[in-house]
Amino acid sequence: MNFDLLTPELGLCGTALLVILADLVVERKTVLAGLSVVGLLVAIGLTLWLWGQGPATAFGGMLVMDQFALFFKLILCGAAILVILSSVDYVSKFPRFQGEYYGLILFSAVGMMLMAATRELVSIYISLELASISLYILAGFLKDHRSSEAGLKYLLLGAVASAVLLYGMALVFGFSGTTHLDKIAGMVGSLEGLGANPGLLLGIVLMVAGFGFKIASVPFQMWVPDVYEGAPTPITAYLSVASKAAGFAVILRVFITAFGEPAWLSQNWGMLFAILSALSMTVGNVVALAQGNIKRMLGYSSIAQAGYLMVGLAAVGRGPGDFIGQSSILFFLASYALTNLGAFIAVIAISNKVDSDLIDDYSGMARRAPLLALALAFCLISLTGIPPTAGFVAKIYIFYAGIKQDLLWLVITGVINSVISAYYYLRVVRVMYLGAPAAEEGVPSSGALRTALGLCSLGVLVLGIVPGVLIGVAEAVKFLMP
Amino acid sequence: MTIGLEHYLILSAVLFSIGLFGALAKRNAVVVLMCIEIMLNAVNIAMVGFSRFWGLLTGQVFAVFIMTVAAAEAAVGIAIIIAIYRSRQSVDVGEVDLMKW
Amino acid sequence: MPHHLAWAIFLLPLGSFVIISFIIRPFFTRWPQWAGYTTIASIGIGLIFSVWTLIDVFNNGPLYVPPVDWVVIEGAVTIHLGLLVDQLTAVMLVVVTLVSLMVQVYSQGYMHGDGGYCRYFAFMSLFTASMLGLVLADNLLFLYVFWEGVGLCSYLLIGFWFHKPEAAQAAKKAFIVTRLGDFGFLAAILLIFFQTRNLTGAGTFDILFLHEHATELAKIGFLGASVATWAALGVFSGAVGKSAQFPLHTWLPDAMEGPTPVSALIHAATMVAAGVFLVARLFPLFEASEQAMLAVATIGAFTAIFAASMGLVMNDIKRVLAYSTISQLGYMMLGLGVFGYAAAMFHLFNHAFFKALLFLGAGSANHATGTFDMRQMGGLRKAMPWTFATYLIASISIAGIWPFAGFWSKDEILAHALEHQPALFVLALITVFMTAFYMFRTVFMTFGGEYRGGAGGEHSKPHLHESPAVMVVPMVVLAVLSVGSGWFNFVEGGFPHFLEGAHGEPASFFFTVLAHPWPWVSLLMGIAGILLAYAMYSAKWVTPERMGQLFAPFYKLFSRKYWFDELYEQVFVVRFLVNGLFWINQLFDTYIVDGLVNGVAEGTLVAGRGLRRLQTGQLQLYGFAIAVGVLFIAGAFYLFA
Repeated sequence: MNFDLLTPELGLCGTALLVILADLVVERKTVLAGLSVVGLLVAIGLTLWLWGQGPATAFGGMLVMDQFALFFKLILCGAAILVILSSVDYVSKFPRFQGEYYGLILFSAVGMMLMAATRELVSIYISLELASISLYILAGFLKDHRSSEAGLKYLLLGAVASAVLLYGMALVFGFSGTTHLDKIAGMVGSLEGLGANPGLLLGIVLMVAGFGFKIASVPFQMWVPDVYEGAPTPITAYLSVASKAAGFAVILRVFITAFGEPAWLSQNWGMLFAILSALSMTVGNVVALAQGNIKRMLGYSSIAQAGYLMVGLAAVGRGPGDFIGQSSILFFLASYALTNLGAFIAVIAISNKVDSDLIDDYSGMARRAPLLALALAFCLISLTGIPPTAGFVAKIYIFYAGIKQDLLWLVITGVINSVISAYYYLRVVRVMYLGAPAAEEGVPSSGALRTALGLCSLGVLVLGIVPGVLIGVAEAVKFLMP
Repeated sequence: MTIGLEHYLILSAVLFSIGLFGALAKRNAVVVLMCIEIMLNAVNIAMVGFSRFWGLLTGQVFAVFIMTVAAAEAAVGIAIIIAIYRSRQSVDVGEVDLMKW
Repeated sequence: MPHHLAWAIFLLPLGSFVIISFIIRPFFTRWPQWAGYTTIASIGIGLIFSVWTLIDVFNNGPLYVPPVDWVVIEGAVTIHLGLLVDQLTAVMLVVVTLVSLMVQVYSQGYMHGDGGYCRYFAFMSLFTASMLGLVLADNLLFLYVFWEGVGLCSYLLIGFWFHKPEAAQAAKKAFIVTRLGDFGFLAAILLIFFQTRNLTGAGTFDILFLHEHATELAKIGFLGASVATWAALGVFSGAVGKSAQFPLHTWLPDAMEGPTPVSALIHAATMVAAGVFLVARLFPLFEASEQAMLAVATIGAFTAIFAASMGLVMNDIKRVLAYSTISQLGYMMLGLGVFGYAAAMFHLFNHAFFKALLFLGAGSANHATGTFDMRQMGGLRKAMPWTFATYLIASISIAGIWPFAGFWSKDEILAHALEHQPALFVLALITVFMTAFYMFRTVFMTFGGEYRGGAGGEHSKPHLHESPAVMVVPMVVLAVLSVGSGWFNFVEGGFPHFLEGAHGEPASFFFTVLAHPWPWVSLLMGIAGILLAYAMYSAKWVTPERMGQLFAPFYKLFSRKYWFDELYEQVFVVRFLVNGLFWINQLFDTYIVDGLVNGVAEGTLVAGRGLRRLQTGQLQLYGFAIAVGVLFIAGAFYLFA
């Protein structure tokens, strides 16, 4: 048992327990946030140390610590740090349970980190549930009407989705007699055609649905706007970034490892993801046009972004063995994480002051909070995909991966959608810069939040100007094939 | 007549469908939660059936894990339902539609 | 020299911009002076590195900085980010950093107390950084990015006092007029990219590659001329816009609305120099095309005399200087067009110093008198001895009097012109006379005679005073350079010889310059111009009014700037564009584009409003969607696969 491979996760679990305990005795609650951030930084350090150690497996091949898993762990820990930093103001209003809030974020981070590192169905399920259950609680954490409604919707739909996923897993297990992805691949690789085993096929479809729920793909996306609107804003940010990243990690690993061969199978699921991608982009962007609430708008926008990401999945399926699809997803996820977190952090700061999430109430924000408005505008520009931002490079990269696999129609759909999306993203910018301010007061924010927002904006800019380094890393990241 | 794998699978599929129907059609949130439990247990039956078919313990282990996780999920679900009941005096999922469009 | 230093030259002012805008301006509003210090420090260090680079290149030849991959997408496009530090770049680096440094020091005094102090230095840093990036870029794409960056910064700086409508107007004019030329440049870049693809299989933006393969481009025919001709003409149209050559010269005189140090920087080292630099940078491309060279020479020579004639009659000192800049840039273009690559760059080098000095002097005079109108100045010689002395030196230099800097480079251009285009040589010679005249006209009107009251009020005679040391010192430094920069010729092997690199003709005219008869002629022309100015504006043997009456039609023609502004405003913009094109455009727009666009946009919005109704808030409907989705996907799989 090489437990040292699990040190980042174990450390985070310890930190989570410590934070909950410390909540009982510590008066200054910001200490809890500090403690959590320290724990996450230690986890990042340990992850980097593991990166240096090279790939290895643990627990009979259930867990695998390859560069792919570690890359996602870095994204997830980074996202958790930014979310915690941006929560400090928000959480200070809670009368109780601040420790539990941070603890749950850490637990769900552990779940997501394990999701990226498992190569076996049982552990995929357990880590997915660890992440999800923590998020159900966090979504309903405020206990007011909207928040508990968000929690209930997320929980019930999430439970249905995981039941569907489990049924799929049961069918796949039943077909192959094993839960290890690499051994499943051995059984699937010898299949002659789809007709040969309808049960397995249904299993795969059910798993697509279960994972599709996590990444907010049409038609499993309907929970997204409601939950995003009702959940505490930092949690919305966390959901939109970390949960989606972990979902893509699992999908990539399951579909490439277990269902990557034979070619006709991967061609088929590649085409399935291509169609879902086109639907997600279109539905997300078109409905976002009509939204007046910025959190809800960002919810639809995250559906659309999932659509862009699935262009990469389609490319992976259509061209197995070509790594550009995978590396473009990794790059897109990293840039999307920074951009979307940046946008949400700005929203947190502004809604703390104006106590509203309506876009109309952002009128004249550029004059009340110039830096905040600038950062938000910058992130929205990146989400639209205009240079010199990370979003631009990410979109070009992922569309290029699509073109390389002859998915021209999908890329054209993506480009048209980008144009549509400019309307609602830039509308916010217009309101902030050209509208008349409703009040003259500035928008105060804590140092922690400003740091988080600064980091995001800087990251978006740096990735937009010098994307080469991260593209290089994303191209080098491979996962350990059996 | 011998009871074979297919019987377990049919039972599982029927149970899963019943559960899904209940989860989508029942109005009471607690009943919805129970129906989800039925779906999960349908999966358990399939798992154990396959486990027996292959002569492996993996499926049974999986089933145990599913039961454990389902318990945790139910606990959280009930807690949220209680919170909703406190604020609305109702657990009708049809009335939980503050956020839409 | 370590390669990183070449990067540092560009990154330092960029860093200064970032520090000022994101740290000093928002957080240290009480210490705006730090913005100035940051700028000066970054450019000062840049100057040291630039000089080091120059010495290094002088001794060891061009410096190859290994390129960094900027965007690499396997098999499709690879864009390198690299630096090209050859002799030309090394010289430009020194010019830009040195002039910019002097201007920044001077601005400390000039901008003191201005509300936009931090903003000013942030823009100045960015301006300098863009120009340095432009000079250092090793491929056309990056050069173009910085080219536009320079344009953007000049827009921001000319419109610095944006609350003044004239300033906002002038900024807009500068931006739009230069943009007209940029279309040609962009088209040329694309043409080069696609044509080199035919040449090598992969398109390139690489400048060195162009240098090596220019002759091959000249052999490919394209639309009735060679690719090289079209590319060179496109590039030249960009240069015409930036360097304010005829017919895109109208923006430069208006650009006076910005703070005077900005004018100094624009006129000497950055904005307008960029056009000349661009032609020099792609000189092999021009050499490969006779037609392009002829166009450059003709437009240069014509602009030189055309702008000088307008400079004769302006009463605003900064406007005189502006026309003088246009005229001198015409000289440089002429020099390039007659294969005098080194001579033209040498003139750019010398001109940078004395033109910056002239503007700083004008700014200094304005600081004391509150006006730029020379009719209200006069007699500043006594009150402002330093300003007078330095301004006089710069004027002698620009008039081309031996042994000041201007003489050396101007005569070299003349010599090249005589050899290749004798007709243009005559134009250039007349321009020498005009230049000397209008420059000394400003000297006598501003500094000679008695004080005529300035803008009144606190600028009345008893209050006249020399500018503070922080403004005088840069002027003195520049004055020394205005005298001495021509003497770089006598550096081992000769400065032009160093610059030659691989291009143009050897500068053989140089050492024999005074043995030749023509330099004497041009010297006499210059002296004659000075004497005429003395006769009219100092000794008053002939009054300007009398001259004005004698040459009334010319006077009117010159003072109304050949009605060029009117031509653009009235004929081109109003008649042609508004009434003609806009009308057609409008029809097209209203009925076709708008209809289509609005239809699509409306349709999308309506679809959005409709689709959102599906989101009823009923969670069981959402679950139903999941179930139906699964059924559909499974069904589709069974059907199609």
